Amino acid sequence: MIHDRVGWLALPAVGYLGLAYAFPLLWLLSRSVLGPDGFSLAQFTGFLADPYSWRVIGNTLRVAVWVTLLCLLVGFPTAVALARARGAAQALLLVAVILPLSVGVVVKAFAWQIVLRRDGVLAQGLVALGLADEAPRLLFTETGLVLGAANVFLPFMVLPIYSLLRLVDPRLSEAGATLGATPSYRFRRILLPLTMPGIVSGAAFVFSLSVSMFVIPSLLMGDRFQTLATLTGRSFLLMRNEALGSTTAVVLLVLCVAIVVGSAWLAQRIGRPGAAAEGRAPRPASRA
Amino acid sequence: MAAFLDIRGAAKSFGGTAVLGGVDLAVAKGEFVSLLGPSGCGKTTLLRIVAGLLRADAGTVRLDGEALAAKPPHRRDVGVVFQNYALFPHLTVGDNVAFGLHARGVARAEARRVAARFLALVQMADFAPRPVQALSGGQQQRVAVARALAVGPKLLLLDEPFSALDRKLREMMQIELRRLLRELGTTAVFVTHNQDEALVMSDRIAVMNMGAIEQVSDPDTLYRRPATAFALAFVGLSTRLDGVVTHDAGGDVTVQTAFGPLRGPGRFMPGSQVTVGIRPERIVFGRPRAGDNAIRARLRDLVFQGSRIQAHFTSTEHEPVVVESISGVPAGAEPGAELDLSWPAADTLVLPRQGSA
Repeated sequence: MIHDRVGWLALPAVGYLGLAYAFPLLWLLSRSVLGPDGFSLAQFTGFLADPYSWRVIGNTLRVAVWVTLLCLLVGFPTAVALARARGAAQALLLVAVILPLSVGVVVKAFAWQIVLRRDGVLAQGLVALGLADEAPRLLFTETGLVLGAANVFLPFMVLPIYSLLRLVDPRLSEAGATLGATPSYRFRRILLPLTMPGIVSGAAFVFSLSVSMFVIPSLLMGDRFQTLATLTGRSFLLMRNEALGSTTAVVLLVLCVAIVVGSAWLAQRIGRPGAAAEGRAPRPASRA
Repeated sequence: MAAFLDIRGAAKSFGGTAVLGGVDLAVAKGEFVSLLGPSGCGKTTLLRIVAGLLRADAGTVRLDGEALAAKPPHRRDVGVVFQNYALFPHLTVGDNVAFGLHARGVARAEARRVAARFLALVQMADFAPRPVQALSGGQQQRVAVARALAVGPKLLLLDEPFSALDRKLREMMQIELRRLLRELGTTAVFVTHNQDEALVMSDRIAVMNMGAIEQVSDPDTLYRRPATAFALAFVGLSTRLDGVVTHDAGGDVTVQTAFGPLRGPGRFMPGSQVTVGIRPERIVFGRPRAGDNAIRARLRDLVFQGSRIQAHFTSTEHEPVVVESISGVPAGAEPGAELDLSWPAADTLVLPRQGSA
């Protein structure tokens, strides 16, 4: 059974993940459900009953949604440009997308602090362009946080979309044109559906990274603004409240798993040609 | 009266290299015209200019009296069947064919009805709900044709649509497609490097070479009376001998070749460099009758081809003298034997030598 023997190749990874990841995770999970009187969900009911917790969950999701949307808005055209470019131009674009990944996130967050300051280039630029009467406050605002985080996570949106776009035959769009489809119709009915799996996985990457980011909100927002990730960090590092920290960590974990599983399901469903058409048989589906 | 499709002076260069050098072509309504030429002759470039997928550097294209230059491809009413078919992989067969109708805002029920009708025309009626990846090459080609025709284009362009199919299927599809287009009265321009395809399908053939059209004529005339040495060499088999005109007797020239003097119709100044061409089925074994051209040549190979036999004779040119016979070869015709060959002078083609014009 060749198949089974090949399976053993996964052993190092399984062993490593088991020791370095699953075990601590189980320990963490156990801290959230094991009180002084044994098993108890009191931590969760207590946490979820507190309106402050819901503000934190709201902060986490709202910022992640905005970051994901901004990344998609900037990332999709970037991916198209990257896929259409040839030769040196493409290499240069690719380096421009990938190279920032090698700069530590702390460095980038500090750089954004400088950019977002009232006397920073962004605020001053808006004034110079006449888009703002006076330098707007950006640092320690959600807008600033979204801008900074989107910058850091952008490559995770661009690369999956780019890798799919590269596989799309440019003749498909030409074929659409000769059939009478306008550029916007071609975009909606050809390019978008064909790259949707890339968009879904890019969005899943950015969203998961955004809900769990710790350094960026700490540096760009400070303590007044808490997300699940920063609250977890604070609970363990500052408040020494392991019960609260493990509870918020588990809530965050459940969110992340839901995103990963949900997007994988979505990508598979969209990626299958004709799949959606079978589901609603009487109508000739215009897109699958 | 102006032609239905009227191309004048179409020119295109890529990076300083002229790919198309001012081409004129007129196609009548309902006509099937092939652009025939080797790869790189500019035929696909011309097709893409007509479709609006490429902007010409110079020249005009008019379709049904309207200038096309300013129109984007989606407003031209010009359908294209691509070489790789370019079917939409995320759509079913039925939705591929209905795509153009949906894009034009045709109601869903109507679009489905029309798509079904065109799928039936290409014998793919039962395939509408299937994904296109599940189709064979021939089936994909049928779907691509149905998709292009379903929107009722004024003009259909076909870019080497048979090149990915095996020979048997290709021959069947050629005849099928030709019949379908004739029934629908579709005007079509067909790009191919395959002379057999062009001869089988076309009302007229435009032979292209190095960015120019060398000859436009019906298949029969193209085969029997090629206008240039290139057209002679590119379409069908032929024996070609280089020679120099020694005498012009008013429409009947004598050419000195490696096989001696040969006569044929034509008007050339004595001293002109020419190519003498003979079709293989015109040559017969044996001594000439009065007025025939005759040569004596050494047999090199016999190639059995089922319904006919091909005899290759050693020549001083780089290509052999080729004879095709349906009645077999004379006794004693074995490789190495010297045989008499002859053909009517009237069937001799005397053309300006390529590159000496």
